[in-house]
Amino acid sequence: MGTFIAIVLAAVLTNNFITVKTYGICPFLGVSKKTSSAAGMGIAVTLVMVLATLVTYPIYTFVMVPLGIEFLEIIFFIFIIASLVQMLEKIIQKISPSLYGAMGIYLPLITTNCAVLGVTELVIGDMSAYIGDASMNIGWAVLYALFAGLGFTLVMIIMSGMREKLNYYKTAKALAGFPIAMVTACFICMAFTVFSYISI
Amino acid sequence: MTVKGFFKSNVFKCLVTLLCVLLVSGVFLTLMNGLLAVSDQERLDRAINKIYGKSVAYTEVAVADYNDSATIEAAYKIKDDGNYLVKSTGKGGFDNGTVTCWVVVNVSGGAIKGIDKVVIDSNKAQSYIANINDNFLSGFYRTYENGYYFNPNDGFIKTGATRSATAICNAVNGAIDYVNGKFLGNVASDAYSGLKYTEYVDTKATTHEGKDGNVIFHVVTKGYGMATPFSIDITVDREGVIKAYTITKNGTDNYDPNKMHSGILDGTLFVGKTVEDVIRFANEGMEYSGVGSDLKTNATNSNYLCLYAAAFAAENYEKFLPEEPEESEEAPKDDEQGGQE
Amino acid sequence: MNKYKKITLDGLIYQNPTFMLVLGTCPTLGLISSAFSAMGMGLTVVVILTLSNILISALRKVIPNAVRIPCYIVIIATLVTFARMFLEKFVPDLYDSLGGFLALIVVNCIILGRAEAFANKHTVPEAAVDGFMQGLGFTVALTLMGIICEFIGKGSLFGYQIMDFKVGMLAKPAGSFLVYGICIAVFTYVIDCIERAKRVKANKLARENLLREVA
Repeated sequence: MGTFIAIVLAAVLTNNFITVKTYGICPFLGVSKKTSSAAGMGIAVTLVMVLATLVTYPIYTFVMVPLGIEFLEIIFFIFIIASLVQMLEKIIQKISPSLYGAMGIYLPLITTNCAVLGVTELVIGDMSAYIGDASMNIGWAVLYALFAGLGFTLVMIIMSGMREKLNYYKTAKALAGFPIAMVTACFICMAFTVFSYISI
Repeated sequence: MTVKGFFKSNVFKCLVTLLCVLLVSGVFLTLMNGLLAVSDQERLDRAINKIYGKSVAYTEVAVADYNDSATIEAAYKIKDDGNYLVKSTGKGGFDNGTVTCWVVVNVSGGAIKGIDKVVIDSNKAQSYIANINDNFLSGFYRTYENGYYFNPNDGFIKTGATRSATAICNAVNGAIDYVNGKFLGNVASDAYSGLKYTEYVDTKATTHEGKDGNVIFHVVTKGYGMATPFSIDITVDREGVIKAYTITKNGTDNYDPNKMHSGILDGTLFVGKTVEDVIRFANEGMEYSGVGSDLKTNATNSNYLCLYAAAFAAENYEKFLPEEPEESEEAPKDDEQGGQE
Repeated sequence: MNKYKKITLDGLIYQNPTFMLVLGTCPTLGLISSAFSAMGMGLTVVVILTLSNILISALRKVIPNAVRIPCYIVIIATLVTFARMFLEKFVPDLYDSLGGFLALIVVNCIILGRAEAFANKHTVPEAAVDGFMQGLGFTVALTLMGIICEFIGKGSLFGYQIMDFKVGMLAKPAGSFLVYGICIAVFTYVIDCIERAKRVKANKLARENLLREVA
């Protein structure tokens, strides 16, 4: 239970993907103009992160390590993620066209999202900072991926809310667009710094 | 689609190209991996050289624990200069956490000359470890005197992470103990370990001597809370009665010693008492003693340190009594005396 | 030769991947808190980008259109894996300071972006120059911001302590966002001013020519 809480808190707050690790910044800046699209992107990224971890973690531990081909991890992982995204797109299109309409446009963008490759690389590395003395297994890996994704979504939604409000104000011409978005992000990061004082 | 058609189709061409690219990459990387793989040995070399600051030859040595408050994780003897590099985990940090440090113990002429370097490797649950700066760590690099143990309250820069600093001190002390005992043969003669009432007594710094058929303990207590270690001379006779009690170094000197219980400060509370009485003071406060005032003065920690020092002496006197009628043969070792003088 | 000059100017200024196109933001924000790791990341990207541009441009007639993206990804991933092995073996300090971002070069939009937008339509020498210049633009931008962040955030430059005064926030992601945002604003503003001055000058010249003709 302690490990569970530690992972959840670390993934969502203390080691948030965007505000602390700075993973997945492209969609964070690119798709955060409206809350609806930010939430859609966030959920899509979370889904792919969980599925990718579910596939890559066992492949790495039970196939690549015994065969001694850990050094091919980047090629394997990026290929798995790319095919997963393709498959997911086709499946969602078939099963639920309405969901596809809401989420489908974000899926192709996810292949080149650092957050997804980042999480699969993280969980095969040294996780002792998050899980303490507990031994790493697929359960913790997927849990971490899930909550890291939800933390990503949370910050996406906060950011989109702030940017929607920003639309009501006039910005200096040089600051319009990316610069003002980054200054906004700076404030979100500062707010999240508070959580780094949580200790479990 | 016929088989022949398939081989001519675009699908086939795509598949072949993709497979070729994959194959070439795989072969290339396997070759490169064979050429560039970093072995575990190399990784260890790098870590050690980085800590040591220059590239050195070393041998790994077996580890054993010599200290209750630290665990020795690994140890290396540096061939170039005979120093030891010890990876030691100090206990007693914040929230029961630990701090793991690399400690370079400078050894020359068969004795420890000093601490050359302390590098923090990792920690558990030390949320304020960032407050530990190089200034603090450099506090360890002073000349080491035999028998000297680092105490976090002793001359170190205030860090804002007292508990983490304690754990680091424990780690360094553990490394010193280990090198001292394991390699230099100076097994810290901890005559008092395993005895009763040693919770607040620094068993390494405490000594005793026999005199006129009595035993005199030079008790050094541990620090506790705001109180730094006390040094107390306690004389116990053959019946287990405390004959004399003098505080030679008062751990509350930085604050106000008069806040302590007056009977504890001048020893009138203990003289003529046995261990049962002393422990009853500790457990029941002053009600039993009839002295009238409560033990919970504004220096409770200091009071308790002294109480337990007295209890330690009065409880364990029997084992250290000098032989009759001559002077004791169990007189303490020279090196221990040296530390006291 | 004019062609290469344009590629160079595009890479360094007009299509600078960091300031104008805002690509490869994750490693930028993650590493500019230290000038050393920022510059290391930049130089690694220069090498990988140049090599990937050369390879992709050389293979552009061989690879069928339908599977070009997977092929590019495999080529880039191979180069990144190679770079990772190389750095771990020979530059372990840099390897440690880049951390997870080294593997994430694979999904750095700059590299796949240049492959798609430039390398598969141009000859090998052009692609090589483009890769080098884009990478250099990235490196210069990262090093510049790394120096700003490290100097103000830690009071040091490339690891050497210079002053005691520091604003710790600038060495954290929050500060990286702030510095990056302000740098983009300043960069675009300066480019804007230069362009406007050029336009004004051209207009003036044209008017003088016109007047002279009329006269």
